[in-house]
Formats: sequence, structure tokens, C-alpha cells
Amino acid sequence: MTAHDVLLQIGQVAAVLLLSPLVQGFILRYEERVQRARGPSLVQPYRDLWKLFHKELVVPEGASFVHFVAPVVAFTAMLIVPLLIPVLTDYPLPLSDMGDILGGGLILTLGGFFIALAGLDSGSAYGGIGSSRSVMVSILAEPTLILVFVGITLLAKSMLPFVVNHLLANHLAVYWSPAHIFLVCAFFILLLVETDRLPIHSSTHIEVYMIEEARVLEYSGPLLALVKWASMMKQFILYTIFCNVLVMPWLLSTQGTAAGALGAAIAVLGKFALVACAVIVVETAQSRLRFYRYQEPLAASFVLAALAIIANQIR
Amino acid sequence: MTLPHFTPLAASLFSLLAIASLLLTFIMLGSRWLRDYMYAFGLQSWMIAVLSASMGYYAHFPELYLVAVLTALFRGLLLPYLILRILQRLGADRELHVILQPSTALVLGAAGVVFALVVAYHLAAAVGVSSQVVILALTVMLSMKLIGFLMLSVRHEAISHILGLLVLENGIFLGSQILIPGMPLLIELVILFDLLVAVACFGVLARYLMERAGTTSSLQLRKLVG
Repeated sequence: MTAHDVLLQIGQVAAVLLLSPLVQGFILRYEERVQRARGPSLVQPYRDLWKLFHKELVVPEGASFVHFVAPVVAFTAMLIVPLLIPVLTDYPLPLSDMGDILGGGLILTLGGFFIALAGLDSGSAYGGIGSSRSVMVSILAEPTLILVFVGITLLAKSMLPFVVNHLLANHLAVYWSPAHIFLVCAFFILLLVETDRLPIHSSTHIEVYMIEEARVLEYSGPLLALVKWASMMKQFILYTIFCNVLVMPWLLSTQGTAAGALGAAIAVLGKFALVACAVIVVETAQSRLRFYRYQEPLAASFVLAALAIIANQIR
Repeated sequence: MTLPHFTPLAASLFSLLAIASLLLTFIMLGSRWLRDYMYAFGLQSWMIAVLSASMGYYAHFPELYLVAVLTALFRGLLLPYLILRILQRLGADRELHVILQPSTALVLGAAGVVFALVVAYHLAAAVGVSSQVVILALTVMLSMKLIGFLMLSVRHEAISHILGLLVLENGIFLGSQILIPGMPLLIELVILFDLLVAVACFGVLARYLMERAGTTSSLQLRKLVG
């Protein structure tokens, strides 16, 4: 473990921390542009965070310590996951052997779990509804996520994201195999669900159908900023897994030089812009599903993951 | 089983076509609109036609080209056209009262595929073939059959029944193309015309139902009409 590697690892976390509002801003801006509106500025999420950090903290009556702990836990969890996945470099850095893909998934879910607890904590009606809805969605999404992870593991015979990245980057036959293509499709549906996009989550946030926003309705000021930042980071992390591990495993720093890391950061932004465009297309073309049809996209994702495993067995 | 040896490129092409056909079956299973079933069925027939043609090319059976052309024309164009006409006349565009939600049906279908895979492994082991293409063909064939039966049993529009039957038949045809590519031409022709007769009969039957019972849903046919 050299100081150079430690610096790179810190760079990975910093990239997630600092670039995640930009990705959110990109999606919000170009979604409006597609609908022929002007849209907010690209750096609007940064301004929002800055504003919220300078606001007064209002705590609801009856809130326990969970109310204060949850945003910090969620934020910290999102700072840990980038250590485990290839954000800038395609080789493991110090501490990235702490956990495999399942471990990363566990820590991601931990953040969501604490936010759901916080929604229930203050006893308000909206928080309870939001928490129960989001838990229901994750009950539907989790088995598929695990199945996708199983599929990835069977594909690469390993649970480490770096091994998967190398396999897909170097073997075109595996990259174009039906198993991998099905896994990509299944993960894309999960990506839409987990990053609060249509067809399940509503695109405008303050309304009756809100799920993620309802859980954090009681938060204000710096704590709200932490929660929002954590959710943007979660989106960035899921995009990273989708791009750097599954879909576009190329253009990462292989030597670990400063220029390479910088180039990788720029390349990551380019890749995310592509994924964000796909997300914007879905958000524009798709209307929100009825409550009782939530399971349909997730069942489709489940079937795709199951087919991927089958296709992989007879590859 | 007399199976020619395939090059890796041919094997991967066959796998891709077979898996794409299986995916189209799932689209049929998960969709609510009868018109979508039909488009998926037409596309699936084209996939099978391409499979026949490429099998004819790689395994040197020139008569398979004729089969491919006939498959594309009959299953890919004529049958969807006939069904589309029946659909327009009946005015039925979707299943109104589903017995199983599409998502449940999809998950059941996935379970069917896993079962088919296990059966295919055992079958291949029993026959003594270890080729991956054979196992894949067996899996796709068996799972398309299972899904066809599932569609026959959980759907109740007459049109869905026709399409379920056609999916079942497509599955058998796909499997036979890969497993026994050198089938006599006469049998293939008989199967094609057999299907045409089946669809024509079904069309007449559905119109008769519409006239006499006022509905094409098999749920309404339980009561006796004296």
C-alpha cells in the first residue's frame, strides 16, 4: 500500500462526492430541454446544497436520535461504497478488499434502511406512507438485485467488480453473449427503480404519489442537504456500477497516474451522460405506473436476470 | 441423434436466435394487448425462418432454404395477417379479465425455463450428447412448450388460445430445426399447412362464438345454452 494508492482511493471518493450533483443537474436540465422548456442550470444542485447548508435546522416534535443519526449514516454509507468499486482505476486500491459486490449492495441498502427508519421516527403520516411504500418497492426490487448479482458472479466466476470489469473489457465474446446483454437490461430496470425514476417514482416531487421525497419531508436545513446529497451519491454509485462494471468497462485509469485518473474522471462523466440520456428517454416516454402495476417492470427484470443465468449455464 | 458438428460462429448464431425467440415468447406472456402478441409471434416466426436458413447453410441441407422461405411467408406474414383480420372483426383488443397478473405469469414462465433447463440436462445426459447447442435447443423448445401451455391455461380470449397454440408449435418447430435438421421436406410442409388449417378453423369457430354466444371469452362459455 503506497501513499500514491491511498491518494487515488481518496480521489475516487472525492469524485463521487463532488461530481454526483453534476449528474443530477444534467438529468434535470436535459429532461426539461427535451420537453422544450429551458430547464435549471447544470450547477443548480450545488447551489441547492449550499443554500440548504446555510439554513436553520427545524426539528419536529417527538423526533428521537434516529432523526439526527439517519442522514449521517446514509451519507457515510455512500462514502464507503466508492472504496469497493472501480470509479477511476480498473485495479483494486487500498481497502477495496473490504467487501465484494454483495457487500457493496448491503452498505447501499443500509443507507436506505436508515432513511426509512427516519421517515417512521417522527410519526408524521407522510413519512410513514413514504417509508412503507419504499420498503414495498425494495421488497420487489431486492430479489432481482440479488439475482443480477448471482448472474454477474456466474458470468465472471468471481464476486469482485474488478474481475468482472477485466473480463468484459478484454473478452468481446463474453461482452456480446446473451447472458451479459440480459444482465445489462435487467440492471437498467433496477437502475431506474433505485434512482427514483419513472415508471415507478413520479418525476415531479411534491405530489401524492411521492415515495422517496415523502420519507424526508420532515427534514430541513443541513440534515436535508445531507439526505439529498446522499441520494445523489447513491445515483452516482449505481451509475458507476452500471457503466464501469457492466456496460462500458473501458476508459479507466490502468496505471494510476494523475493524468490517467483525471482522464478517467472525464470519461466517467461522458459515460454517465450517455446513461442519463437513456434515462431521460425513459422518463419522457413513460408515464407513471398505477400502484398495482409496480411489480410488472420488476418482474420483467427478474425474468431477464433468470434468463441471463440460464443463458450463462449453456454458454 | 445425428447432429452435424457446428463451428463456434454457427453455434453462437443459433444460440442467439433461439434465445431471442424465447425472449419474444416472454413478451407475449407479459403483454396485455392482443395485437402485441401477434407482432411478437410474427417476429418470432422470422427468427425461426432465419434459423432454418442458417441451419441450411451451415449443415448443408439445401431444402431448408425452401422451408425458411415458407416459414417466413406463412408464419411470419400470412398467419399474423389472418389473426389481425379476426381481431379487427371481433373488436377484441385485450384481455379484459385476467386470471393471472402478467407479472405472476412472467415469474411462472421463468420457473418453467429453469425446469426446462434441468430436464434438458437430464435428456442430453441420457442420450449421451454434451453439445451446448443441443442443450440450449432442448431448453428453449421445452420452455416454449411450457409457456404455450401456460398461455393456453391462463388466458381465456379465443385469440389468445390460438396464439398459445401457435407458440407451442413454434417451440417444437424451433427445436426440430436445430436437433433434427434433415427432416423430410414433406413433413415440414404438412406442419405448415396444418397450422394454416388450424387458424382458419379457429377463425370460423371464433366468429361462430361471437354470433351465438355474443363473446369470445371462454369464461362466458360455462353455462349451457339450450
